Amino acid sequence: MVTLKIALRSLLRRKSRAATIGVLVAFGTILLVFGQTFTRSAGDASRDSIINNFTGDLILYSERSKEKPSPFAFNTPLPNIQNAERVRSFLAGLPEVSAVVPFTQNYAIIQAQKDGKPVELPIIFYAVEPTTYRQIFRNAEITTGSFFGVEAGGAARSGILISEFQNTEYQKNYGVTLAVGQPLTVLGLTEGGSVNAYRSELLGIFKPRYFKNVFNYINFIDIDTYASLYNFTGVAADSLPDNLTSGLEAAAGNEDAIFGLAEDESFGRLDVSTLRSETLSGFTMIAVLLKDHEQVDQVIAQVEAAGLGVKGARWDQASGFFARIASALQAFIILATGLIFLIVAFIFMNTLIINIIERTSEIGTMRAIGGEKSFIRAIFLSETLLLNIPVSLAAMAVSLVAILAIGARGLPLPDSISQFLIGGGPLTMRLFLAPFVEALVIVAGVSVIATIYPIRVATGITPLRAMGGRE
Amino acid sequence: MKAVELTAVKKHYMLGETRVDALRGVSITIEKGEFLAIAGPSGAGKSTILNLIGCIDTPSEGQVFIDGTEVEHLNDTELTRYRRQKLGFIFQSFNLIPVLNVFENIEFPLLLRKSLSRKEREGIVMHFVEEVGLADRLKNKPNELSGGQRQRVAIARALVTSPLIVLADEPTANLDSETGHRIVDVMRAINEHEKTTFIFSTHDEHIMEHARRVISIRDGAVTGDRVKA
Repeated sequence: MVTLKIALRSLLRRKSRAATIGVLVAFGTILLVFGQTFTRSAGDASRDSIINNFTGDLILYSERSKEKPSPFAFNTPLPNIQNAERVRSFLAGLPEVSAVVPFTQNYAIIQAQKDGKPVELPIIFYAVEPTTYRQIFRNAEITTGSFFGVEAGGAARSGILISEFQNTEYQKNYGVTLAVGQPLTVLGLTEGGSVNAYRSELLGIFKPRYFKNVFNYINFIDIDTYASLYNFTGVAADSLPDNLTSGLEAAAGNEDAIFGLAEDESFGRLDVSTLRSETLSGFTMIAVLLKDHEQVDQVIAQVEAAGLGVKGARWDQASGFFARIASALQAFIILATGLIFLIVAFIFMNTLIINIIERTSEIGTMRAIGGEKSFIRAIFLSETLLLNIPVSLAAMAVSLVAILAIGARGLPLPDSISQFLIGGGPLTMRLFLAPFVEALVIVAGVSVIATIYPIRVATGITPLRAMGGRE
Repeated sequence: MKAVELTAVKKHYMLGETRVDALRGVSITIEKGEFLAIAGPSGAGKSTILNLIGCIDTPSEGQVFIDGTEVEHLNDTELTRYRRQKLGFIFQSFNLIPVLNVFENIEFPLLLRKSLSRKEREGIVMHFVEEVGLADRLKNKPNELSGGQRQRVAIARALVTSPLIVLADEPTANLDSETGHRIVDVMRAINEHEKTTFIFSTHDEHIMEHARRVISIRDGAVTGDRVKA
């Protein structure tokens, strides 16, 4: 008790020094608590934006793919998912799954007219099932026209949607501004190397709500237009004669054997009237939303074990850099806070040493009249904690009030930062316990560490000093 | 009964590259209950003798016995405990703890012992507060007291644990002569009441007159040992 009494009164005796340290500790604590809460909230907001608008909790893609799916970046299109309908049926039977959104990404050329002459415009797009996509992902805010006509509740129409930004770019670079209802020809390069042309129409112009810096460049085509454009049409396997099916299976992967079948008399003549055509989807990715984000790894494992020819990537693997922005910011905050606390520790240590030098006689006296080193140690440790812990708690209370005040209406951020960090809009501040606990542990830890050397100096003072004598 | 015995004690230390012989073979025996002054000019070795008796310094040669125990071989913790149990200190500059008031300063050595209840401590403290005449100053901090009052607090603090020996290093050096006389009177009265051994250093002739025994030191050696009748 006397230890605390001496410690507290010594602090009050040197108010200006205590205040200086207190302000630094409070600043560090606020930076830590508010900064960590900000980055955690940003991380959650970013995750929600990405999951609810682009990737779902996970993306399934062909197991033949050597690359991860990347809906935020446009690399070479992934291989098609060959059994998309089987995969969807399987997913429909999983209780963890709340929604499934198949799509693909690719690029093409659209041909428009300018002054009676054709102009070719490059376009990057998502090919989607309009109704499914619109029900789940709400990233496109239609400014003119409609989202393939699905808002009216009717059947989806075939066509193209472009972003406002894209249209502006067309005007800037090609002198062409597209208008809703305008007929367009889409030109696509098939896997076989030929160029297909498909007549289509501009159905709508939109603005992306989230991650504009990426999705301003991305447009939409309905999946039927896409399948036609890229020749995703074939013969239904169940309409082939059995002997041809078994022959093809036996010759799988061997070109000579496949051509050999044509010369085999036992197959006889193929009656084409019995064959049925089938449109393949062309989907390269299936976004899967779960009822519980935590079950993502479990669902991936289930799907991969089902032998459907697909594998899964978590949302953060699929969104790459954007999923890591919040983590990077968090690392920066930790670094900045670490620096602040390093400075606090250094200043605190020096202040304590000055205090100790000033109190040499007092310490020597305590040692002379029977105070052990542990008693001196306890006094200085108490002084440190008596100052830093209450200041830190007060700073936490200030942070808490600020977080709660901001949390209700969201922290407004400049649009460019908001788009980059959380996909857009004000940042809803959420309350987490961890930053408060971390701050308390760090303040206590830094206090103790910063006191180690001064305590060594203090306990090194001999009682002889109190006598004013030689040492 | 011997309270202190110094046998052929030498003490030297280095001041830069110069060797200083602070004590050159001092042998002193002090009985319990004595009221003794160690007298001599500045630099004679008075404080060194007090430091050795007070277990806050060690001899270069010779032996120091306190209450029959040779203290040279005790470690730091044992010496601290020994000081707490056997010794009381009165310093030239009073050395009160600035953040504690009069009562708390006097109580401080009892708190280090941790063996007494609050009520027991209060009783002991108040007894010595009465002895030194500071009952009306209990709540005052050291900076609110005169030099003489501070030294009386220091005396009470030294006595509160009922030590075997009270060591006072020039206790009147920072006081005017009248106050100094009063302080020595207080110490002497306590010596008579409590039978506590008082050893104090001084170079003040008037203060020496109050001592019953005066050991004179010069250049690190005993030059006289006079017991008054």
